[in-house]
Amino acid sequence: MLDRRTLLQRMAAGVAATCGSTLAPEHLMAMPAINATRKRVIFFMQNQGFDPKTCIPEGMTSGGSLAKVKLPEPISPLEPYKERLHIINGLHGLHSTPSHSAFFGALGGYRGGDGVPPSASTIDYELSKVLPQTILPHLCIGMDSMENMRTKPTIATLSAGGAGQPIFMHSNPNHLYQMLYGGISSGQIRLEHEARSTVLSQIEQMAVTKGQLIPTADKQRYGQFVQGFKDVNGLRDRLDGVADHLSKFAPKVDERYTNPKFETDWHDALLDLGISALASGITNTLTIGSGRGEIFGAWKGLGIDQQGHNLGHMDQPDNPIWIKIRQYNSRMLVRIMEALDRVPEGSGTMMDHTLIVYTSNNADKQHTNGANWPFMLLGNFDGALKTGCFTQIVDKRPINALYATLLRAAGVSCDRFNMAEKLAQKFDAGTGPLKDLLV
Amino acid sequence: MSKVGVVLVVALICNLLSVATGQIYTPGQNIHAEFGEVAKQFLENNCVDCHGATDPERNLSLHDLSSLDETNSAIWKSIWAQVTLKEMPPSDAPQPGVVERLRFSDCIVRELARVMKDQGGFRDHLDPSKGNFVDHELLFGPLPAGLQLVPTSTQARIWRVTPQEHITRLNDLINTEPKYDSDNPGLRAHGDEVPTNHGGELKLYFGTDRIISWQGGTVAYATAVKSTPAVLSSARNRGLENYPDFYSVNSAEATQIMDVADDIIRYMAFGPLSIAEPYQITDDPNSIADKMKGDIRGLPTSIVYSTKVVDPLTPIRDLMNAEGVSDMRLRASVNYLFEALTFLPPNHEDLDKYLAIVKQSIEKLGKVDGIVLGLSSIFLDRDALFRAEFAENGEPDRYGRVMLQDWELGLAVNHALRYLKPDDELRSAIVDGRMRTRDDVKREVERMLADDSIRKPRIMRFFREYFDYDLGGYICKDAKSLNETGVRSMGDSHYGAMFDATASTDRLIELILQQDKDVFKQLLTTDKVVATEKDNVYFGKQRSRAEIAESVAMAKKEKAKHESESNSNSEKKSLPQTKKESFIHSVTEANLSGPAIYARVSRRSFGNGSMKPERVLATAPAGQRLGILTHPSWLVSHSDAMDNHAILRGRWVRERMLGGGIPDVPITVNAMLPEEPHNTLRQRMRVTRESYCWTCHKKMDPLGLPFEMYNHAGLFRKTELENPVDTTGEIIESGDPALDGKVDNAIDMIRKLAESQRAEQVFVRYAFRFWMGRNETLNDAPVLQKAHRDYKENGGSMKALLTSLLTSDAFLYRTRSQSIASAAN
Repeated sequence: MLDRRTLLQRMAAGVAATCGSTLAPEHLMAMPAINATRKRVIFFMQNQGFDPKTCIPEGMTSGGSLAKVKLPEPISPLEPYKERLHIINGLHGLHSTPSHSAFFGALGGYRGGDGVPPSASTIDYELSKVLPQTILPHLCIGMDSMENMRTKPTIATLSAGGAGQPIFMHSNPNHLYQMLYGGISSGQIRLEHEARSTVLSQIEQMAVTKGQLIPTADKQRYGQFVQGFKDVNGLRDRLDGVADHLSKFAPKVDERYTNPKFETDWHDALLDLGISALASGITNTLTIGSGRGEIFGAWKGLGIDQQGHNLGHMDQPDNPIWIKIRQYNSRMLVRIMEALDRVPEGSGTMMDHTLIVYTSNNADKQHTNGANWPFMLLGNFDGALKTGCFTQIVDKRPINALYATLLRAAGVSCDRFNMAEKLAQKFDAGTGPLKDLLV
Repeated sequence: MSKVGVVLVVALICNLLSVATGQIYTPGQNIHAEFGEVAKQFLENNCVDCHGATDPERNLSLHDLSSLDETNSAIWKSIWAQVTLKEMPPSDAPQPGVVERLRFSDCIVRELARVMKDQGGFRDHLDPSKGNFVDHELLFGPLPAGLQLVPTSTQARIWRVTPQEHITRLNDLINTEPKYDSDNPGLRAHGDEVPTNHGGELKLYFGTDRIISWQGGTVAYATAVKSTPAVLSSARNRGLENYPDFYSVNSAEATQIMDVADDIIRYMAFGPLSIAEPYQITDDPNSIADKMKGDIRGLPTSIVYSTKVVDPLTPIRDLMNAEGVSDMRLRASVNYLFEALTFLPPNHEDLDKYLAIVKQSIEKLGKVDGIVLGLSSIFLDRDALFRAEFAENGEPDRYGRVMLQDWELGLAVNHALRYLKPDDELRSAIVDGRMRTRDDVKREVERMLADDSIRKPRIMRFFREYFDYDLGGYICKDAKSLNETGVRSMGDSHYGAMFDATASTDRLIELILQQDKDVFKQLLTTDKVVATEKDNVYFGKQRSRAEIAESVAMAKKEKAKHESESNSNSEKKSLPQTKKESFIHSVTEANLSGPAIYARVSRRSFGNGSMKPERVLATAPAGQRLGILTHPSWLVSHSDAMDNHAILRGRWVRERMLGGGIPDVPITVNAMLPEEPHNTLRQRMRVTRESYCWTCHKKMDPLGLPFEMYNHAGLFRKTELENPVDTTGEIIESGDPALDGKVDNAIDMIRKLAESQRAEQVFVRYAFRFWMGRNETLNDAPVLQKAHRDYKENGGSMKALLTSLLTSDAFLYRTRSQSIASAAN
């Protein structure tokens, strides 16, 4: 049975998955508990693998501080932020079959693959549920070639709300802008927003009218259907009432949106929108799929002519192409941190309560068995996680253990994430969180 | 008060009086006495001797348990399960009378429902997994004194459409599936369900029937092609998945449906041009070679579509292609889309409202975007996502029941068999007022059942949900453990084989249904196999270590002999590429051969690696297999990552064959078998023999262990860990003394079950649940008995069984009032 909170979250997830619905900032809709610290999390999933040599400082084989080492060239933009960085190497995802992408399995910690539906919820969705409530608990954006983003502006490959419940990611910034800021927009976006709003209001009315004959026993179940429209439409009204607040965060719609030269223009616009959703308090969880969980993708704006599958067949270390892509990723991470640093929150800034998880949906490389799955964490999540260091995981621990750690850091007691004891006997030499990560 | 209300009140009063006098009890009817009074009396009479104040059995004291509240509801749920399943009082203790037990059980359900109202209610008794809590002997045997039934009906309700139904409905808007081909009846045809794809995902594909070439391989194709996953989901993956009261449509789903609607309407309007550049539509891919330069694998622009229009031509396309927007075309589009999505013709009110929505949208956004947005709203109409069985019209009979009629009845019949809208004949019958009687239903059901060209995917869905043989591809296997079974564990080979196996088993069931003779028995005992080439391994025999060594030695010998012969010749030849080289030493492959046959598979979803329909109809290796329960599709579906799942298999046999019920596992139980790689599963299952566990496990484990004659990939085996495999088991407390007794192996057990009338009746019970969308109650006993009788008297005919069920009162009648009886129904 769905409670109101769950309904609201699902509704918001649905709004996140559509184009043109509207949202309200969290403090106007759903305040967290008085004593709860606002936290937020960002997952950045680059496809084609994350070779550990492109992130572990030279000479570091065991754990240690990053203070006196230089970060490798591919992640050099993070050098000024390395006191916030935690590089983790040695986790595995053998059970997730990540060769050619684990798809939902990368964030779910279970078997994935092309065409394999999610068998459980993913960590980003689970965190979005337990973090202090925002109006849009989970926003997913996906970056790909221009052709794919235009033809398939929403796809679902990485995040899931449960078994068989994929969560769509947005790839068209115009649609996403309309969804987030339609109420304060102008021109065509405004028209589309208004037209959609009108239609949704009329659908709600029709749903109400057609519910009058519903038998008593089914009224609650049908009521969920009607309530969904009420919530979506109610949000729009509230959003209109706080246009001033949102306008402080809404990016400017420019040529990159309407007339992009390269797909990276849209990537940048999507990131701007994602950052604005975090900074405005609309969402507490942002999942970024660079390459959208698949084994293609393009970055022509970086001067990379090759695209797609071939990128995954290249060795990443010392590869100029991969240095460009990884540096581009790193600059995006910096943009997120800088933006959140600028927003005061509590006695510090938003970034003080934020965690960024960077990895690949392909473990360490495109054709991999998942024996090693590197991660980078940025931010201490309100003091819950250690930073400024490199940790080499020695024991056989799966990516699920990291996800259980993140849940612990979010205040949830969790010994295993999506791993039954029987599988754990084979794939996890330990129990509970990764202690080297927690403060 | 309405007539219905008056009738019900009278009926209730009559029953209450009867109960009050202690003479007659009608299952499900209200009980005059207070819960505390009934509970206290029952517990004192039957429980407190053992569960008293001092030294109670299992440390459970019931002597002062008379009220039910939030704090003790878990105990009461357990009492309800134990008493209802006749686990308690124990068999060696005096037993309460039938009526006393029923009355107590009903009382607990009623009280749990009342107390837990604000916690989501108590619905356990309505769950299909608890369907067997209704006593089988009472359903199929003579009615004991003191028990009186009322004519059955089903509560008025709405069904949310199922994910398969929804996606098949949407698919029909944009894809033209081939007509049924009586010469190749196994090929997927219009009306069949949209199958899951190569990875097991239920997806809607756009334009795949027009794709004539693409760049790259399998994954490049899968990335480039336009598809969208099913939006509606099922939370269950075992057993009956889609009772009407399981699901609603939440806002996340609703908004995603609107997104999908946008894509669909554009495709309906423009075909592949909605997802491709104009130059991509050509019959000569070479002519656009200049546009296909560079590495464009995985991009939508890497696809070439043929110019031949095969997608459905609808009024939407006419509307978009015509100049301007005429009222007539707009009306035609709304009419078309409304009926395609809801299966109902729009009434004037609906039509006007949707027309207004589309016109408003056009005004705001212009023609194309306005039409797309406006028409999208129809995808969210109540009747596009739910199906109503309100029984608003018609006179209630003296029991307060109203028979469905016209569209509601027609769509109920249609839904019982099909996912697409009613065919012309059924539609005419509805419109002409010829869907109002039992005979009307019989006529239409028999007509549709007799015509193979009318595809009936709901029947296949029942068999999938009853047997649960379609889960093998979703059981995540540990690669090393899988490798040890003898099958290929590389990549997705095994998972692909399992999705193929599901389609094969579907087809085998279809063949049995085509014969329509002793269907249940045939399903359990057929020696036929619908097979792919990979099935030679899966239906093969796993070799022992000694046999493998012998095979390797033989291969070496052969190779040496060949080399020696080659050396003696003047010109050296390399070893010919024969099958021997790729021979898998760990398996004695089956030799599955026979006439060519087809199975229904997904549209091309993975380029050339997509599922293929080609199969053979073969005979299984003698003495190793018997019916569907011995096929890898079923066996793997009931396995886990590293081994067989004897408990799950045993539970399946207990519930689906014997009609037994298993209480929920207490939350205090940490059900784990020890990790002992050098011990067999049977040996590791010794932990379930502890007395606390064995009470339930004795009803499952001995029924699941006979399947140890197969490994966890479904291969036959004679040894396990290099010792002869122990395949013995036992049927106990089946309810049929003739069935009880030890069995040598799964085949021995299945033979006994196939001959069992009880197992056949249980099959009928599951069919009832599936087609009624609810659990049976004792009031359904006459329906079940007749259905079983009709099945038997027609030579084990599924068609007869279906006709019987679909013309029964349970299917035809609805009650709108919230009486206790109808709530129980």
